[in-house]
Amino acid sequence: MTVATQVSTSDLVAHLYRRAGFGALPSELSAATSAGYDATVANLVAGLTAPDPGADAIATPTLSPPESLVRLRQDPAALKAYAVQLRAQFVELTTWWLGRLLATSNPLKEKLTFLLHGHFPTAISKVRFPVYMYDQNQLFRSQGSGDFAVLTQAVAEDPAMLIWLDANSNKASNPNENFARELMERFTMGIGTYTQTDVRAASYCFTGWRLDPRTGAFDIAVRQHSTASQTFLGVSGVNTGQQVIDLVTHSDASIHFVPSRFWSYLAYPVTPSDPVVADLAPGYAADRNLGNLLTAIFQHPKFTQAPSLQGLVKQPTEYVVGTLRALGVTPTELQARRPAELEQVFANLGQVLFDPPSVGGWPQNSYWLSTSAALARWKFAHQVARTTDISTVSDASPGDRVDAAAEMLTVSNWSATTASALQRAASDPPTLVTVALVSPEYVSN
Amino acid sequence: MTDPSRFKLPPLDPTAPLAPGRPETLPPFDVPPTSDQPTGRRRLDRRAFLGLAGGVGALGALGALFGPRAWDALLGGDTTAGGGALGQGEGSKLVLLTLYGGNDGLNTVIPYQNPAYASARGPLAVEASSVLPLAEGFGLHAGMPGFKKLWDAKELAIVHGVGFANPNYSHFESMDIWQSGDTDASVSTGWLGRWLDGTKSSPLRAIALGPTLPTALSGERVQGAAIPIGPLVLPGDPGEQALYAALARAGTSGAPLAVEAATSDAVLLQLNQRLGPILSRSTTANPLHVSDLAGEAQTAASELAISDGGGGRAGGDVLAVQLSVVANLILAGASADIYSVELGGFDTHADQAPVQSALLSQLDSAVTAFVDALRGTRHGARTTVLIYTEFGRRVGGNASDGTDHGWANVAFAAGPSVKGGFYGEPPSLINLSEGNTVYTTDFRSLYATMFAEVLGTDPKPFLDGSYSELSLV
Repeated sequence: MTVATQVSTSDLVAHLYRRAGFGALPSELSAATSAGYDATVANLVAGLTAPDPGADAIATPTLSPPESLVRLRQDPAALKAYAVQLRAQFVELTTWWLGRLLATSNPLKEKLTFLLHGHFPTAISKVRFPVYMYDQNQLFRSQGSGDFAVLTQAVAEDPAMLIWLDANSNKASNPNENFARELMERFTMGIGTYTQTDVRAASYCFTGWRLDPRTGAFDIAVRQHSTASQTFLGVSGVNTGQQVIDLVTHSDASIHFVPSRFWSYLAYPVTPSDPVVADLAPGYAADRNLGNLLTAIFQHPKFTQAPSLQGLVKQPTEYVVGTLRALGVTPTELQARRPAELEQVFANLGQVLFDPPSVGGWPQNSYWLSTSAALARWKFAHQVARTTDISTVSDASPGDRVDAAAEMLTVSNWSATTASALQRAASDPPTLVTVALVSPEYVSN
Repeated sequence: MTDPSRFKLPPLDPTAPLAPGRPETLPPFDVPPTSDQPTGRRRLDRRAFLGLAGGVGALGALGALFGPRAWDALLGGDTTAGGGALGQGEGSKLVLLTLYGGNDGLNTVIPYQNPAYASARGPLAVEASSVLPLAEGFGLHAGMPGFKKLWDAKELAIVHGVGFANPNYSHFESMDIWQSGDTDASVSTGWLGRWLDGTKSSPLRAIALGPTLPTALSGERVQGAAIPIGPLVLPGDPGEQALYAALARAGTSGAPLAVEAATSDAVLLQLNQRLGPILSRSTTANPLHVSDLAGEAQTAASELAISDGGGGRAGGDVLAVQLSVVANLILAGASADIYSVELGGFDTHADQAPVQSALLSQLDSAVTAFVDALRGTRHGARTTVLIYTEFGRRVGGNASDGTDHGWANVAFAAGPSVKGGFYGEPPSLINLSEGNTVYTTDFRSLYATMFAEVLGTDPKPFLDGSYSELSLV
């Protein structure tokens, strides 16, 4: 494998910005290169708990509080009008987040919010109310970089998750297992580290968890909560959902599972038994702090080696946001574009924000390389190269345009094949930019 | 790291019927070189294609750039199972229909005359008076009148008790097992992907509808193609397309993911070259008579990624649109052997009855219209739709008016050449394990059957072990 010493600081910092954010702008890249890799890691991580003047300048969407669908169903016209309203609010919500992703001063904070959306996936198609998706998104942003056990507890009590995994209708007489199972399998421990008896026991502990129908707030309905004492993960006397979340997030399985997931999101896919996870687990076990885990990942020697540099395909959100940022599209310009068009781009690429396909979130790498997605990427690249300012490329002399495109997109090296294709488009900047945006080295890195 | 050579396209069969040096001529979609005269239906289709030849100029430029040898490298070979990627469309077809989320089979094919059913299901038991009676004490959910008609016409096979040993209730592991065709979690290829590998097929022999490719169609060396729900039209002028093709040719060296990306770009061009004229009209041709097909396709394109809870993928009224595109391809003589479509939202932990009823109605109308559109046609008469889901649901309901993840389930095969009837042993509703029905038919028996009777090949190379075939086609 290529050793890290062959890679320049500039290339490493560009890699860091791709993984810890949505790609560096040339100005960010040169500043970070001067500061050095370690200082850049420290700056990005410090941003996790700092205000974000760039993103916070984006106006908060106007989202109406949930209304009783039971009542609305008695008035079909009102129900229809309400559905139209929710749909419009969903578009507004998505535009708001995309605006934040473009404008952020603290890219790691928005990146972690995005990764947590994939780790604890919930979808508008079942949750229905955009305001709940917004609240959960803010929860990821405000509490995402702290103690993972505390975060998991907060996510579990949050309306979006209560609705998504049916915790909202989990009753003592015969509990439903949906939340208890996915909590362990997908969020905290990983498959094969617990038994069906544990799932059953945990599901009793979560009975009665609901949204209070009068206040809309989290509440435990006493009459629906099973008071029976359970043995869970070998511990007897367990009776509450909070105890279950404490046990799963402190388990040995979780100490390996959580670092394995975040390494997979940021470097390349691994299982909990991978040696790199063994390196990360003791530090994570000490405090379960995601901010510290992110630092440990970025500082791990393997993070800056070839398998990591070449280890991920850009997820569609990373691809689209990174491209729009690189081309200097502002949130205001984003608003001016037809939101429906952008929504279609994401749908065709297979990743709709606030609507992951399942409780497994989005798979990685090959999942994004279908022929359908290739076509969708090309269409997006073609369109964006002709509707945005690409003067950094077109103002360069034809002989410099291939390099200018690399600089604009912070691509360290074009392959010989790509360079040759770009050179042939040197007299046609929009086509040159299109080809750069669909090149294998831009799509996967 | 993975050996980059795994992403190389397979070598071309020089006997493949495409004429790469003359791309201005439409590929022979409906008139295979060795076939009989087209029927009246085929001639109509031919005229429809000729009216849509606008995109061919760009292809001409691409072909001129590449020359025959470059196309040869790009297009891959089809050395077995029927020759070229197009023009052999009369063979048997397999349409894999995946129901994501775990459909409740017990309320789909209902053992309504079995007293254990009503007692075990309690309030979730379907009223005996509402079922559509089949035979042997079973009846269909009331939302499935089309399946009842298929059953009466002996075009619907119902396989009882399908599953595998040591199920663990996980959507993901169960779906992985179904799609890989192997209970060993370390097997990452799909059961049909291994067939693509083993037959050195073109990716175009296995086509999935939607933005992503299901594992079932993914081999070690060959991945099937995914096509969008809307029309397939390449962006850019011939110059831009030629440059895209230059990148797509790069797929032989470099980082594995970059190679994989370039390979998928190459397959996209191949897809457009071979099937573009059919796919560019996929929202106007309407063999299933979907009302407002263009509108539905637009919805489908945006909703395919939208689902309804754990394990689901697709949602909305999109199955009919997916099957409409498949029917277009089949009727036009595209010689893909395998298609994959999907419907999600079956993970009914709460308020099951209305949700499942709506989904089953959608399944029923789409599949029935699809079979109706193919019956008696030259290219579609030997099409089999295999319908499965990752697991059955718990026999006893929960207190949320829903059901939790379970074990064994029914599977269906539907189509004009299917031998209708029941297959396999119905599992006991009394001798349950952890509250679940226990499988009586290994799921790989379905796959062995599809290999032997639809794809016309010995199942052994593609499955881990021997599984009895069901003789249902």
